[in-house]
Amino acid sequence: MEFKELDPILHSQLRLAVVSLLISVREAEFTFLKEKTNSTAGNLSVQINKLKDAGYIEVTKQFSNNYPQTICKVTKKGIESFEAYVNALQSYMNPGKE
Amino acid sequence: MQPENFSPKDSLLLIDSMINQAKNRFTDNGFLYLLWGWVIFACAIFHFVAIKFNLFKHPEFVWMVTWAVVIVQVIYLVKAKKKEKVKTYSDGIIDAIWICFGICMLVLTIVMGRFNLWVYINSLVLLFYGIPTFLSGFVMRFTPLKLGGIACWLLAIGSTFVAPIYYLILLAVAVLIAWIIPGYLLRKKFKNQN
Repeated sequence: MEFKELDPILHSQLRLAVVSLLISVREAEFTFLKEKTNSTAGNLSVQINKLKDAGYIEVTKQFSNNYPQTICKVTKKGIESFEAYVNALQSYMNPGKE
Repeated sequence: MQPENFSPKDSLLLIDSMINQAKNRFTDNGFLYLLWGWVIFACAIFHFVAIKFNLFKHPEFVWMVTWAVVIVQVIYLVKAKKKEKVKTYSDGIIDAIWICFGICMLVLTIVMGRFNLWVYINSLVLLFYGIPTFLSGFVMRFTPLKLGGIACWLLAIGSTFVAPIYYLILLAVAVLIAWIIPGYLLRKKFKNQN
C-alpha cells in the first residue's frame, strides 16, 4: 500500500480554498476570495503570491472606478496540479483501491 | 485560516465546501428580465388597445421604445460588469445565448422584411423568445425560466389559431410567464442569497 505525496503548495488550507474556488469559476476578484475564505487581506495576499509563483494561478491588477482590483484565474498547470492533488487524497481515503 | 497540517478528509471537505459556495452563487438579479418583460408587456397591450379602439394612425411606433431600452441595457451592463466580483462559466454561456438571440431576432426581421413574410413573424418571435429563456433556465437550473420557454413555444403554436391582432395579447402573456414572473423570482432568490 503506497500513499501518493501531497503537493505542499496545495496542502495548505487557504491556498487549497483559493484554488478550489477558482476551479469553479472563470475568474474572481480578490474581495470575493477574501469573503468566501474568511481570511485576512494580508494572509490571502501572501498565499495568492505563492500560488502565482508556483504558476497555479494568474493574477491581473487593474483599476475600476479609480479603485485597484486584483483578478485571479486558475492556470492549466493549476488545474492539473489540483486534479493530481485530489487523486492523491483519494489514495489516502481509499488505500485498498490502489 | 492558517497554513497547517490537516488531514486528507479535511482537505476533501474544504474542497467540497468551496466548490459548493462558488457553484451555488446566483449572479442574476432578474433586472433585465423585468426591464424587457415590462416594456414588451406594456408595448403589446398599448398596441392592442390602440388598434382595437383605433386610437392612433401608426400604433406600431410604440415599439420604438425598445431602442431606448437597448441603451438602458447597455449602460446597466457596463456598470454591472465593473461591479462584478466573480465571473462564472455559466454567466459566460448565458451571455452568449442572449447575444445569439439578439442576432437571430435581427436576422429574422431582415429576412422576413426582404421576403415580405410578416405573416409568419408573430409565431417565429414567440418561438425565438422560448429558446434563450429555456436555455438560461437550463444553465442556471432555474425551473421558472424553463417553464417560461416552454410556454413561449406553446403560445407560438397558439398564435396560428388566432386573428393577428390577438397575437399582441399572446405576446404579453408570453413575456409575463417567461420573463416577468421568473424575473421577480430571480430577484427574490438573489436578495435572499445576499
